[in-house]
Amino acid sequence: MSNTLLEIKNLTVSVEKAGRLTAIVKGVDIKVPQGKIVGLVGESGCGKSMTAKTINGILPTAAKITDGAVLWHGNPNTETDLARLSEQKLRKLCGSQIGMVFQEPMTSLNPMMRIGSQVSEALLIHKLVQNKKEARAKTIRLLDEVGIPEPELRYRSFPHELSGGMRQRVMIAMAVICEPKLLIADEPTTALDVTIEAQILKLIKKMCDAYSMSAIVITHNMGVVAQICDYVYVMYMGRIMERTTVKRLFERPLHPYTRGLLASIPRIGKNPEYLQTIPGNIPEIGKEIVGCEFCLRCSDDERACFFEKPMEREIEEGHFVRCHTA
Amino acid sequence: MDGALIIAKGIHKSYPIGRGKRHPAVKDVSLELYKGETLALVGESGCGKSTLARILMRLTEADSGEIYFDGDQISGLAGRDFRPYRRRMQMVFQDPASSLDPRMKVKDIIAEPLKTWHIFDNKAEILERVKELLDMVELKESALERYPHQFSGGQKQRIGIARAIALEPELLVCDESVSALDVSVQAQILNLLKKLKGELGLSCLFISHDLSVVNFIADRVCVMRGGMLCETAETEELYANPRHEYTKYLLSSIPVVPGMQGA
Repeated sequence: MSNTLLEIKNLTVSVEKAGRLTAIVKGVDIKVPQGKIVGLVGESGCGKSMTAKTINGILPTAAKITDGAVLWHGNPNTETDLARLSEQKLRKLCGSQIGMVFQEPMTSLNPMMRIGSQVSEALLIHKLVQNKKEARAKTIRLLDEVGIPEPELRYRSFPHELSGGMRQRVMIAMAVICEPKLLIADEPTTALDVTIEAQILKLIKKMCDAYSMSAIVITHNMGVVAQICDYVYVMYMGRIMERTTVKRLFERPLHPYTRGLLASIPRIGKNPEYLQTIPGNIPEIGKEIVGCEFCLRCSDDERACFFEKPMEREIEEGHFVRCHTA
Repeated sequence: MDGALIIAKGIHKSYPIGRGKRHPAVKDVSLELYKGETLALVGESGCGKSTLARILMRLTEADSGEIYFDGDQISGLAGRDFRPYRRRMQMVFQDPASSLDPRMKVKDIIAEPLKTWHIFDNKAEILERVKELLDMVELKESALERYPHQFSGGQKQRIGIARAIALEPELLVCDESVSALDVSVQAQILNLLKKLKGELGLSCLFISHDLSVVNFIADRVCVMRGGMLCETAETEELYANPRHEYTKYLLSSIPVVPGMQGA
């Protein structure tokens, strides 16, 4: 595919736990097409954040990439494997071409630095502007664009003077100031109130369109996926269980896990006596399961589910499922 | 519905914010919670919903206002006189990990309120009751000898619920009790709360910022903003026909999950 910006191939990430390696991301394949928003959805501990962190090399020290490649097609006619790049090169590339927004805007901003200097820092480091004056002008323009009122005044504010929603806007400004080709947003709205969440999602979508950016949005919220994503990958216990377009996923979810997940969301307008649930709990990280990772909680289990890992199958065009029974 | 379990009149509470100023957290709130109903308090962070719930349980003192529990005025009652009411209202907290003592075994956690109140004469009876409670929250008996960290988030919340219902309270206050849980587990806990409410005839004050969760569990909903109630209505009515501008805004902000056939 010529217009794929980023391709994660057979990525496996392991952590060392009590002297042995445990895989927490298992053979993950993800394609991010140019200008599209890809959703990575799953419950806590499923490995979605770890997958994203391999892209710009910010895995925690205990975790290692044990297999696979992260292929970057950001520059024409070249292919760079981010997983094998030296830290220096990775930093140069990621800083300007890949932006990241984290969940907690308070802890990811420097409390001792003024908003303006934090946002413009990357511009100066990557020498994308001639001088500080230019950096300041560009930062103020961008602060205005992400919807911060009185950007000139706010340029001199400290993070604690802003509300959570405003801080997240600053984070987004910081992530896109170098006009990156890819934005990675890790639970960008989870810490925010629902009214602010709606505003921030709109903003992310707007920025992607304005700068023809691609994005990976990591979330546990199917509503967020439905709102802004084009493609969706459903993860469970380190594995991609289902992947397709957002439209197809909601029209015809095929994996029992996806179906269970969708059914257990309380919905306004439907009021059942009891909600549908997925029985059991998410197994502990590192638990070895011989068959399908989901077999212990699945409703349509067959013999094969317990003894054999299902391969990914294309059920309809562009709709892949890792399940024996789907 | 037969009568009000909690009546609050003109509750006011403010906190000092320095330089002699005070920030009003709850402004002149009056509400009634009827016996057997689930009343939800919804609103965004900082709107005063948790403060209000804590005032109703008298974990925080209001600046002014009156609170009645089952017809008796409980606002202003001194410690000893208030104590009998304590056991009739219990709370389930948001973060199941920090609301359970990590150094206590599950059987001791659940037995603690029973011991405090001298409900039973001997250990065997207490253990019997603890087992019964575990069964009610659908945990296995093997949980007894284990510690909180050995359980998942959803299971911990079940332990918290077992502790809360151990004294057979009339009022259960759930403060964001399912917000920290994953969707698939959240649904289990919501179902459990609904089931227990029916079995035990509990009244419930359910605090949440999640309007779709509230829609499932509540009979009536109070929408709070800036320390005030801006709308109180029957759940169906509120979602079908929101009157207050803020309620409409809240409802329109929820990211909608497209429907699935047959779900």
